[in-house]
Amino acid sequence: MCDTEVFNAYRHRWWDMSQRRRTFISSVGTATAIGLAGCLGGDGGDGSGGDGGDTDSDGGDGDSGPAARVGMVYATGGLGDGSFNDQAQTGAIRSADELNIEYDESQPEAVQDFGSLQQQYAQSSNPDYDLVCCIGFLQADALTETASQYPEQDFMIVDSVVEADNVGSYVFGEHQGSFLIGLMAAKLTSQDFSAGTGSTQSDSTSVGFVGGVEGDLIGRFEAGYKAGVKHAEEDVDVQTAYVGDFNDPSGGQEAALSMYESGADIVYHAAGNTGTGVFRAAQEAERFAVGVDRDQSVTKSDFSDVILASMVKRVDNAVYTSVESVVNDNFEGGAVNTLGLEQNGVEAVYGQQLGSEIPQGVKDEVSEIRQSIIDGDISVPTDPDNV
Amino acid sequence: MTNDSAMDRLLSASGRLFIAAAAFLTLAVLAGFGLLAPASTPGQIFWVLASKSTLSSTLRLSVPIVLAALGGIFAEKSGIINIGLEGLLIISAFAAIFGADATGSLWLGFLIGIVASTLLAAVFAVVCIEFRADQIIAGLAVWLIALGLAPFASQVFYGGPNTSNVGTFDTITVPALADIPFFGALFDASPAVYIMFLAVAASWYVLNRTTFGRWVRAAGENPKALDTAGVDVSRVRYAAVLLSGVLSGMGGAALAINIGQFTGNGPTMVNGKGFIAIVAYLFGNYNPVGALLSTTLFAGLDAVQLRLQTADVIAVPDSLVQTIPFVAVIVVLALVGKTRLPEAAGEHYESGEE
Repeated sequence: MCDTEVFNAYRHRWWDMSQRRRTFISSVGTATAIGLAGCLGGDGGDGSGGDGGDTDSDGGDGDSGPAARVGMVYATGGLGDGSFNDQAQTGAIRSADELNIEYDESQPEAVQDFGSLQQQYAQSSNPDYDLVCCIGFLQADALTETASQYPEQDFMIVDSVVEADNVGSYVFGEHQGSFLIGLMAAKLTSQDFSAGTGSTQSDSTSVGFVGGVEGDLIGRFEAGYKAGVKHAEEDVDVQTAYVGDFNDPSGGQEAALSMYESGADIVYHAAGNTGTGVFRAAQEAERFAVGVDRDQSVTKSDFSDVILASMVKRVDNAVYTSVESVVNDNFEGGAVNTLGLEQNGVEAVYGQQLGSEIPQGVKDEVSEIRQSIIDGDISVPTDPDNV
Repeated sequence: MTNDSAMDRLLSASGRLFIAAAAFLTLAVLAGFGLLAPASTPGQIFWVLASKSTLSSTLRLSVPIVLAALGGIFAEKSGIINIGLEGLLIISAFAAIFGADATGSLWLGFLIGIVASTLLAAVFAVVCIEFRADQIIAGLAVWLIALGLAPFASQVFYGGPNTSNVGTFDTITVPALADIPFFGALFDASPAVYIMFLAVAASWYVLNRTTFGRWVRAAGENPKALDTAGVDVSRVRYAAVLLSGVLSGMGGAALAINIGQFTGNGPTMVNGKGFIAIVAYLFGNYNPVGALLSTTLFAGLDAVQLRLQTADVIAVPDSLVQTIPFVAVIVVLALVGKTRLPEAAGEHYESGEE
């Protein structure tokens, strides 16, 4: 059959069926719209946020209405990732508790949703939002545009710098925290160590790093980690892989398994949801993993028997600080706030279950090096090519 | 017409042969390097290819794709082009985790995943067969519905697009056989991998050796003849589409239970596997074994690229290495573009009795 014949046959059937199909498509459209609405749906009904509708029902402090209203636009990993977004939410919950603010949340499906969600909060007048928190470096491009369209609206962004007078930027010293993790990993792979489900292979000194999407931000984790390993033990080998996605647990699992199989004892991940696969792999291989962004031995407690430590990024502090400044009327637009080891913006937090089994000598060394980094005696690279 | 299709078949056969020969030759060259100069880059690549862990990783990555492809074969052989495989995988991945969470049993969760996917496939079948909707559009709708529905349900039950953890199947290890180099991976795998092999064998047998298989093929090639022989074409097509739901459901459930969690952001954890399944069965020319082989090719490339990255063998930018499976898909489609669809695929069949 030639092409035009096929085309005509299709066109014929198209017209033939058009009536029925139209109703069908419109119902599909509705279903999809409902689905999307569900995903973007705001306050999630857990009561901690409160919604904009009832202004004076909480009654507690005499004054009607909250001290401020905050719109949260999360990163694409979504809530329940047990790391980055949940940590940001912790900050919002704390602000709501301590500063009497109300917040609304939205969870973007994809990068192209950031702009419209930011604008949705920025242009809303009922309720009027005092601050829009943009969580994650991928929002920077969209925010640059949104911020210039709404010069009266205050924004804050985590993990990236947006140069605009109405945007406060919060960046972290991920490389510094990762340096400490690298140091710990190198020390442990070089000795016989077993705790929980895992143990290190005495004949191999190798550690691994699984990244989400390659780029400047995750590069800082990798650079700090590698530098930390090298600082501790010259001859420990570091295997790295990028899965190419922050939401691909199967990929994370395969990447980590291949590292464990070629001798890695400890794998550190900076890969959001992809990291769930890394923990799963650690349990299968009976080795160790290191979490990121939050204390994942708590948030992913199913895996607490393999999580040695987590490189915690206090995204909650960034959110809380910015909300506090808005409440106190001293929000500094255009400022770049760096939260490193010194500001407790990043920390190496030992695992809930395994932390107590890590030798004291290793812990002492970690806190010693932490002090040297704060004092400026050790400078940590931010680019993996410079390690 | 006859000449044309004979020519087509010849071309497609030579295309496949060409790819097989090229792959074999490359492998032979790499093996040569691997044996003579194990430290060289091609030598290292060979040892990565020949490792047991690469094979077991390939098998794990293949499971959802192969099972969805088998489902696609049944549907399309019967004359219903099911491009909604992706949606069936998504819905079953979520339902399996939800079911396992609710019942406390992974195997019950697995079954619930299959049921969910079969129900969605049934909706698709009714829309296509009873209401004669365009199959391509209805298939897209299945995908979009699942893409919206699964994260929405997760939002309702778990407060976010990601569900909680339910654990995974224990691997089944056959003693002794599991220690064989490379092929040992076949005897040290999750139950899902064994299910995949059983499903491939069973699908091949049903399609080629049973009456039902003949009916399915006839419904896709010449529904009129089947009707004349007194078999209800619609019923055969319903059965085939439902079967595609069952098989895809096993794939989606296996995918989610392999991690123990459903993650529903963006394209969800299924991430295009249903579409790769379509490519896989086209490349495999509607043969279950062919679909298995072509899937292991794609999944194998994925497994190999992760290992090449970790072993630091080739200094190719990671993002470029990650495109290899997709480039392969395009090359495969261009070279094997002559795959022949069943004659009546995509067309509605109306029995003369009505």
